Amino acid sequence: MAGSGADSGVRRPFERLRRLSTTEDGEPTAAVGLLAAAVSAAVLSPVAWLLLRATEVGVDDAVRLLASGNTFTVLTNSVALVAVVTTASIVLGVPLAVLTVQTDLPFRRFWTIAVALPLVVPSYVGAFAFVSAFGPHGVLADALAPIGIEIPTIYGFGGAALVLTAFVYPYVFLTTRASLLSFDATQLEAARTLDTGYRAAFRRIVLPQIAPGVTAGALLVALYTLSDFGTPAIMHFDTFTRAIFLELNTFARSHATLLSLQLLGVTAVILALESRIGPGEADGYGSRTSTDAVVELGWWTVPALLLLAAVVVVTLGVPVGILGMWLVRSGPGYAAGGLAFDWTFGLNSAGVAGVAALVTTLAAVPVAYYSGRTDSRLGWLIERPTYVGYAMPGVVLGLALVFFGTKYAPGLYQTIPLLIFAYVVRFIPQAVGSTRSSVMGVDRALVGAARTLGETPRRAFRRVTLPLITPGLVAGAALVFLTTMKELPATLLLQPAGFDTLVTYIWRVQEAGYYGRAALPALVLVVISSVSMLVILRGEDT
Amino acid sequence: MTRDTDDTTETNRAGARSETTETDTHTTREQERPQALNRLGAPKPGVNGDEPSRGRRRFLAALGSAATVGLAGCATTQSEQSTGQVAFSDFRGSGRLVESRPEIDAPRIADLPDLSGELTLYLGGGEGGLYRELVTLFEQIYDDFTAVPNAGGTAEQANKILTEGEETPADVFWSVDAGSLSVVAEEGLTAQLSSETVADVPETFHPDRQWVANAGRARAIPYNTDELSASDVPDSVMDFPDSPLAEGEIGWAPTYGAFQAFVTAMRLTEGESATREWLEAMQPSVTEYPDEFLTSNAVADGEVAGGFANHYYALRVRDARPEAPLDLAFTSGDAGALINVAGAAVLGPSENAALAEDFVAHLLSAEAQEFFATRAFGYPTVGGVPPVGGLPTIDELEPPEIDLSELSNVQPTLRLLREVGVL
Repeated sequence: MAGSGADSGVRRPFERLRRLSTTEDGEPTAAVGLLAAAVSAAVLSPVAWLLLRATEVGVDDAVRLLASGNTFTVLTNSVALVAVVTTASIVLGVPLAVLTVQTDLPFRRFWTIAVALPLVVPSYVGAFAFVSAFGPHGVLADALAPIGIEIPTIYGFGGAALVLTAFVYPYVFLTTRASLLSFDATQLEAARTLDTGYRAAFRRIVLPQIAPGVTAGALLVALYTLSDFGTPAIMHFDTFTRAIFLELNTFARSHATLLSLQLLGVTAVILALESRIGPGEADGYGSRTSTDAVVELGWWTVPALLLLAAVVVVTLGVPVGILGMWLVRSGPGYAAGGLAFDWTFGLNSAGVAGVAALVTTLAAVPVAYYSGRTDSRLGWLIERPTYVGYAMPGVVLGLALVFFGTKYAPGLYQTIPLLIFAYVVRFIPQAVGSTRSSVMGVDRALVGAARTLGETPRRAFRRVTLPLITPGLVAGAALVFLTTMKELPATLLLQPAGFDTLVTYIWRVQEAGYYGRAALPALVLVVISSVSMLVILRGEDT
Repeated sequence: MTRDTDDTTETNRAGARSETTETDTHTTREQERPQALNRLGAPKPGVNGDEPSRGRRRFLAALGSAATVGLAGCATTQSEQSTGQVAFSDFRGSGRLVESRPEIDAPRIADLPDLSGELTLYLGGGEGGLYRELVTLFEQIYDDFTAVPNAGGTAEQANKILTEGEETPADVFWSVDAGSLSVVAEEGLTAQLSSETVADVPETFHPDRQWVANAGRARAIPYNTDELSASDVPDSVMDFPDSPLAEGEIGWAPTYGAFQAFVTAMRLTEGESATREWLEAMQPSVTEYPDEFLTSNAVADGEVAGGFANHYYALRVRDARPEAPLDLAFTSGDAGALINVAGAAVLGPSENAALAEDFVAHLLSAEAQEFFATRAFGYPTVGGVPPVGGLPTIDELEPPEIDLSELSNVQPTLRLLREVGVL
């Protein structure tokens, strides 16, 4: 697959260009491979800072820390949280996807959007909302107490798992939904003609085909859970991120480093596990998408609607309701200096998230294309590391880039480009994942047919491949957009002076205890991000 | 500072609560919290003036009489003094607790060198608007002065400066937590302030002149004056379990950063096992609240007889509810009397050191000190500026002798609180 003949010299430039991208048999060339490897190395670079710091830790110190009971607790807590949140997200996300894609559920369009939207709620906002609703003397806790409903404590493992599941299960919902949409429903109909019940048909026919999609979503859930700081902090549950944070708070950066490396170790295990479980990829965008109802719910319609309503109330109703309450109660009189909301914060957020989405998607294409088009081990080696930044706590990534920025790129330090780079590192797996599965979904026979009909590889790419993978590109970009919108820790560390976004403003007023003031920007954030969610869902339906 | 950012979240949550329950206070951080809380303070001069002072702990009650001494005149003269277009009164808060302030005996901004040029200011925590507002006032005074703020949690900002090292773009690090300042100083990244700049601040609040405190927050015991008298509150916090205080209910907020700092201080001064015993002995008497504003409010409501809280929460309650039967007691020389501070340092690598030092000096001006005292109810660190509410001045308090930077080691405290079932 190497660049055969790319050096023959006399070819016209555009031919050289296409030679650089694809060899005759459709395998990506070394140039694409190099580009992919470069992207992969770049997004992995912050880990170098961790390794550098780790060398400063004394062996005795390291052994003492790693052997301490606290480290073990943090490890087991994190693993347990990842396991429970991932499982719960699958248990919730898959049935919701099936209900909204394959059944005759009333108002399917509405429910599809409603159950996908919790992803736009930042976990720290969501967790606050839950605590102020269900915590000690919480709004709902107090309202329910007179009628004899005692809310168990929201703090600890249960609360953290509940809140995380509530706001990240849509990853599984979205990826499963994408798989179901491309699933050829005629197979299911055939199975049912043969008198197989839906449940059996689902297990034997649907499940194997959507498994890679489910796994891809579950991977994002697992890694997000590992890297999230807001929820465990608010729920007082000791995970890696909270322990790292506490160590950084005591300025024990070496301990924070060791814990971060442990966290990356867990990440590596999860990544390896996922590639074992989900070896294939669903047939993607080459086939006709289908939203035709194949299952009549009958009297199951009522429990299904109740389930959907319950999910929407808990995951959207609670946070939006609490934000609305803060908004209404805040009233005038909060206008302390430096706290006035400015609509430019929203423009800054959307602008920087838009650029991040664009750059991330562009960076993801070579990685996704290379790893999706080659069966070599190298493709795997290049694609997997792009997930590492996603599992890295934002504060660690931020400090790593503070270090590299001040030491090696002082001109870029505290500028938008470095901030964008941080977002690329953090969110590229979302773009790689969805682009890669769409690349794999393109039937190579289609490209071959185009070539047979005399198209050059470049034109074949543009006329056949590109239209087919565009939905994947757009979906990936939209995911990056909405996660960038809500990213806080790295943003705080790397923001250019005077560059306020919705989240830095939310942080600022919350830090000051002005909850009412956080409501408006949080709602603006949710609304802007919802637009990108609509883009994702619309792209899937076409 | 562990407290600080660790509990951003906790306090946030808490903040949400207070906003939903209480009219005024949205600020529930344990930090020196410089936001204006006086909005609702309906001026009721001397409402307490007829209440006799009952001993050294009845500071709030003494407010009316103490603070009204010869004040009207002073206020006038002070507000007439102005620097450029900015008057002294622009720095002062409003509301009942602020109504009458004595003559402020401290250097004025007019006595300080002019600020000129652009200053990169790293703000750690607590800049909830008011710190920026103070900077804006400075910018209004000096046409050619600009401060470029870069805000974050106290620990994050300190870690950022440590990571940046000599390349830090910051000229001044202004943080609401002593620990974050100490660690930057220990790394040798701060420049020593001149003795002239820190002259009016007690020595404990400018260790080696590497940084200087601009405001403090004291641990205190709010108690309900209908339920208890000052003499019911022991002088030592370690005696609380056997005191009349423990016969009624006591409110505390163990998830709250400032409370955890208090337990950390007890661990440092009394040892782990004594702290454990104290926590266990207290447990039968306590009621848990999400934060210390709500604790103080519950004391005022008589839900509990007393509580553990930073001093300014009671002032906020009193500011909003002047008739509340609420007063403050302070213990002596132990964890219960802990004082943490906000402060500022000039960064060693700064190429703007002269401006940076002048800026720090401005934080210690009469105007800025009055700003911290009357808008956030913080403890001014310049001796000539009294706190509001008739509280003892900072040098009359007896804080424990501990290194404030040790307070950031909160992990053993969390473990202890969990082991005894408080958390």
